[in-house]
Amino acid sequence: MKKGRVWKYGDNVNTDVIFPGKYTYSILEPEEMARHALEDLDPGFAKKVKPGDVIVAGRNFGCGSSREQAATCLKYAGVQAVVAKSFARIFFRNAINQGLPVLQSEEAVDGIEDGGEIEIDFDRGSIKTARGDFSFPAFPESVMGILEAGGLIPYTKKKLERK
Amino acid sequence: MGKTIIEKIIQDHTKEEVKAEKIVWMDLDIRSARDFGGPNVVKNYEEEYGDAPVADRKKTFFTFDLCVPPSSLRYADNQQICREFARGQRIEVFDVDRGIGSHVLMEEGLARAASTVVGTDSHLNILGAVGSFGQGMGDVDITFAFKTGKTWFEVPQTVKVLIKGSFSSPTTAKDLTLYILKKLGTKKAALKAVELYGEAVRGLDLPGRITLCSMVTEMAGIIGFVPEFGDSLKAEIENFSGTIFSPHKADEDCSYSDTLEIDVSGLSPQVAVPFAPDNVQDVSELKGVKIDSGFIGSCTNGRTEDLALASQILKGKKIKEGVTLKVVPATKRVYKEILERGILEDLFRSGAIISNPGCSGCAEGHIGLTGKGEVQVSTGNRNFAGKQGKGKTYLASPAVVAASCLTGHITNPKDV
Repeated sequence: MKKGRVWKYGDNVNTDVIFPGKYTYSILEPEEMARHALEDLDPGFAKKVKPGDVIVAGRNFGCGSSREQAATCLKYAGVQAVVAKSFARIFFRNAINQGLPVLQSEEAVDGIEDGGEIEIDFDRGSIKTARGDFSFPAFPESVMGILEAGGLIPYTKKKLERK
Repeated sequence: MGKTIIEKIIQDHTKEEVKAEKIVWMDLDIRSARDFGGPNVVKNYEEEYGDAPVADRKKTFFTFDLCVPPSSLRYADNQQICREFARGQRIEVFDVDRGIGSHVLMEEGLARAASTVVGTDSHLNILGAVGSFGQGMGDVDITFAFKTGKTWFEVPQTVKVLIKGSFSSPTTAKDLTLYILKKLGTKKAALKAVELYGEAVRGLDLPGRITLCSMVTEMAGIIGFVPEFGDSLKAEIENFSGTIFSPHKADEDCSYSDTLEIDVSGLSPQVAVPFAPDNVQDVSELKGVKIDSGFIGSCTNGRTEDLALASQILKGKKIKEGVTLKVVPATKRVYKEILERGILEDLFRSGAIISNPGCSGCAEGHIGLTGKGEVQVSTGNRNFAGKQGKGKTYLASPAVVAASCLTGHITNPKDV
């Protein structure tokens, strides 16, 4: 459980603005991807973001192209979690497969202010904000397992090792 | 309780009991990667699994379609990375000559009714057009699918959409699709499977179904199915793919999260205005919007029938001076058909540029981008800011694009 600063954005934040198409055709190291995170939406973000910060957004976050880098760049920028009213499904999967928690809560998004500080408790499924606490639905067991392992591939490696 | 179509397909591919909102591990019949995403799949694969063989090389494919042949060194390198991996693993590559991967998978009969297919294309749910469960996924998912042949998936709820009424030419499947998108937006079908019923969709031919199913992605949906069809469609798909067309039907007592109705009686041509695909207006509201360029192609509108429709409007006429029209067949098979049927010549004589097949205009592909201030009318499926360059993109049917290229402004095909 860690406190983080809120970066709040609107509806339909698409993967082109999360990670610009012009970089997707080069194979970059994740740390380099992080330097271009949200470049076309909020040019100041990548320089100012700190480990543990949280992105809060409206509906359909991560819509558009299937690029995995949209999730990777946020994770390596230090983003602790993304809280949105809803997620586009490919981004949602990519985030979980990368070990980046994605939380869905309409009320929390409405209640959280840009620039504020919030605290996320994954075990209890709650988000603590200046305006009170909000809950989010718990992840199903298999998803929680993937997140805790740090992503899909580490998760299955762990499972295979146990066998 | 009965099952919806998506529940039935997933149930065929898992031992777990399938029900909506449950996460299951499922088997994948086909796993594919493109020149976009593909190189990262190779990188992930080699890092995680070294030179261990893929789960089943006969079910694993590369499809190069984004920038074909490559016009930048990055693409050239990326395609070669995939090719060399494919040679080592003895995986088949549908190379830069073949066209849009999702369409090639349908033509080859690899994506067939009731099968499960994944790839690095966010429009792979277009395979709903042939009753297949297609899903676009990220690099890690596809790496994992290459190695194991499996994926985790949350069984989506299904929304039933009843399309009431009918329409006639020059309104097309694309106008129907844009209108449905306008009505459903990005919320009503979000994260759900969609089953579309009603006279207007039952009568669609395969290219029409492809157009409709391709844009379920823009509705934020998982996949769309058109469960009702006539004998002619069955014959069309079987002839097209060389496979038996026997898709699942929903059980009568299955459970839908919602049932919606959309009335399309007398629908006129529709246009999506920048910068969102669901920002749809009637063509009459956009009279006088000047254009610089047109694009006819994409996984949404790149079939022979789409190009034939455009050529009917353009035949014997010249596109407006100062306007460029770019035409890109979806696949090599389409290219051959337009060549043999004289469609290519009609398009050429009207002044269009006709390229080899691929995705092109929808990505930063091989037939150019829009510059700042440029206005493009396109048969593609996305018009987000920056998607096809710095210009503004309007989305429309092949008929509207062709008519607009004749006049130099957005035009209802009935007016030319």
